[in-house]
Amino acid sequence: MMRAHLTSVSVGAACITAAAWAAVAFTPGAIAGPRITPAAASDDGEWTMPGKDYASTRYSGLSQITPANAAHLHPVWSFSTGVLGGHEGQPLVVHNTMYVVTPYPNTLYAFDLTQPDYPLAWKYRPAVSPNAVGVACCDAVNRGAFYADGKIVYNLLDGHTVAVDANTGKQLWETTIADVSNGETTPMAPFVVKDRVLVGASGGEFGIRGWVKGLDLQTGHLVWTGYNIGADSDLLVKPGQFKPFYDHAPNLGASTWPKNAWQTGGAPVWGWMSYDSTLDLVYYGTGNPAPYNPEQRAGDNKWTTSVMARRPEDGALVWAYQFTPHDSWDFDAAAEMVLVDLRIAGTMRKVLVHFDKNGFAYTIDRATGQVLVAQPFVEENWAKRIDLETGRPVVDSSKLTGASRGNVKNICPTLEGGKSPASPVAYSPRTHLFYVSTSNMCMDYQAVPAAHIRGTPYIGANSPYYAGPGGYMGAFEAWDASVGRKVWEIKERWPVWSGVVATAGDVVFYGTLDGWLRAADARTGKILWSFKVGSGVVGNPITYRGPDGKQYLAVYAGIGGDWFLLAGDVRSDDPADVRPPADFAKDLARHTSQGGMVWIFAL
Amino acid sequence: MTQTMIQRVARPAIVLALAAACRTKGGAAPTRSDAPAAIAYPSHIAAGGVAPRGATLTNPYAGDTAAVTAGAALFTAMNCDGCHGGGATGWVGPSLADGRWRYGGAAGEIFSSIYYGRRQGMPAFGGIMPAAGIWKVVTYLQSLEPPNDVPTESWK
Repeated sequence: MMRAHLTSVSVGAACITAAAWAAVAFTPGAIAGPRITPAAASDDGEWTMPGKDYASTRYSGLSQITPANAAHLHPVWSFSTGVLGGHEGQPLVVHNTMYVVTPYPNTLYAFDLTQPDYPLAWKYRPAVSPNAVGVACCDAVNRGAFYADGKIVYNLLDGHTVAVDANTGKQLWETTIADVSNGETTPMAPFVVKDRVLVGASGGEFGIRGWVKGLDLQTGHLVWTGYNIGADSDLLVKPGQFKPFYDHAPNLGASTWPKNAWQTGGAPVWGWMSYDSTLDLVYYGTGNPAPYNPEQRAGDNKWTTSVMARRPEDGALVWAYQFTPHDSWDFDAAAEMVLVDLRIAGTMRKVLVHFDKNGFAYTIDRATGQVLVAQPFVEENWAKRIDLETGRPVVDSSKLTGASRGNVKNICPTLEGGKSPASPVAYSPRTHLFYVSTSNMCMDYQAVPAAHIRGTPYIGANSPYYAGPGGYMGAFEAWDASVGRKVWEIKERWPVWSGVVATAGDVVFYGTLDGWLRAADARTGKILWSFKVGSGVVGNPITYRGPDGKQYLAVYAGIGGDWFLLAGDVRSDDPADVRPPADFAKDLARHTSQGGMVWIFAL
Repeated sequence: MTQTMIQRVARPAIVLALAAACRTKGGAAPTRSDAPAAIAYPSHIAAGGVAPRGATLTNPYAGDTAAVTAGAALFTAMNCDGCHGGGATGWVGPSLADGRWRYGGAAGEIFSSIYYGRRQGMPAFGGIMPAAGIWKVVTYLQSLEPPNDVPTESWK
């Protein structure tokens, strides 16, 4: 994932209609799959999965909030989660209940939206090992839950997946999926397709061997495990089924590494997933190769920093594409893959759009893995361009890192990425634009040899940051993925680390690190409204229809993730841990501090 | 490559090993009280505010500048900086350079934290590092000067 400021070594859609969801919810054993259609998001008023729909558009058909009235938004309710730490992820709203998962200790709250004051219907407090807190690379975050078949399914940080009855709050099953003592932790949101719960683990900074597992939704039992690195058989490559567009040799997941280096090679899964029901493919991105010192792993290091397309039922790998071969900069590809239909060079194409940490936005044929468009969406200088014939970046060799290369200066973007993979984009089918939170930062990168010691960080780089060209550190931008072009941009002083929601009212919402929640005009980029929510926003706003028929906006406040680490002085909770400000963000703690809140707004 | 790295840095540290770790300041008897023998250590009753037994361990390298240098190298080689940050100024793990300590800052207390681990993810390095090496890391950490913005960080 990402780590900076370490002296050496090792640190570290388609959518478902309301009727379909009702059927899933109230019919035990119902299978959602056949009901899924690849149409644009409907005005269902709910938010049942992290990305809003299987295409991960984070687009809501609700339209009461418009550019004309957004200035009248005001808070109607707030609730302290009782937890500090980065409040990534997003609430769910299903059947007039709002579900909130906190960072460690992963408490699950269920608020009854039908009653005044939205009192709790129940709360569920799992037994989570505190040991996981120190093993999670980048704060003890949680990226949310998934609603399916009457169950709230989510991951506990310490390597467990739980399913909780959405009505009663009673635990239905719990499955051990990951091994914390091996450096694996589990902040990602599960992804449910048909009767499979898909989960992955973080640990690219601990030299794990990344995987995705498919569990049975009814029982939690493990059905399959597909590794991202290693021999074809372990990757669930089935005879005749694996057809990457650019790479054809067998066993690339092992042969593109020095002998056995893939066994501790990273490729964690900590971001988001999406699903195309027509192609029956699940898409997800893999994280960085380990360690950060690339000289310890000559070769492409497939399939790190890649998009993987698998069959949900048995995990079979159908295609894969690697964004950053032999990654030298910690450019995880964990960011969301948004599934949309776009007109490209005059032809409608079924594509996935991905904003990579490496600074390029990719528009890719989601049936084949062919790259159609790849253009930088932020300042970058490590690659001259992406060669669409080969799918490979044309790398500026002066930006390659390695222990023998000393301190390589001025690389853009940073380990944090041109966009944080934890901060998903939104897509509006009305404007045909993507809305993207970005970071405008550059870094120096000094790699050093790293030693793998099981269960400890396996990194090997020191990489101080600074503001990129222009002096501002982040922006919120609109992007046309059919041609690869920025349409408008709102500059922000700090990196923008929230997710985004787009709406049929042509208003988009995002939050800032210094704690402002903003509404912007989807067509012009004009800021329509801002409200200070008390702590920096690293979560993802959502919108839903309340029992009263009104449109509401909900978001978490709670700075964290890498920003509790990079700007350690935003903490005030531990008198035995007092840190100086980050030299590139000395003022951030002047404007925000840790805290965990759920906010709801309305007109 | 990884093995080479560990050996190169850690081998000189193997020498003094456990002898130092086991040396304590004798068995200074606790104050007598009428409490049953099982809880005859009154200092243990004041929950939380009392140094654990590790406080009585003595650092064989106290004041040894060569040990500071060796400890700094071990802090990197053993991946300590992966969690506690370069210069031990804090990352996922707490700052060890601020003069503040969750589990006590006496040499023996720091030794115990490293040797046995701590419950929020601190591994028990006693199983993978010789005691002499741990003492050198202790020596390095105790040599760090707290930054001047502890406890006050001012923007005025």
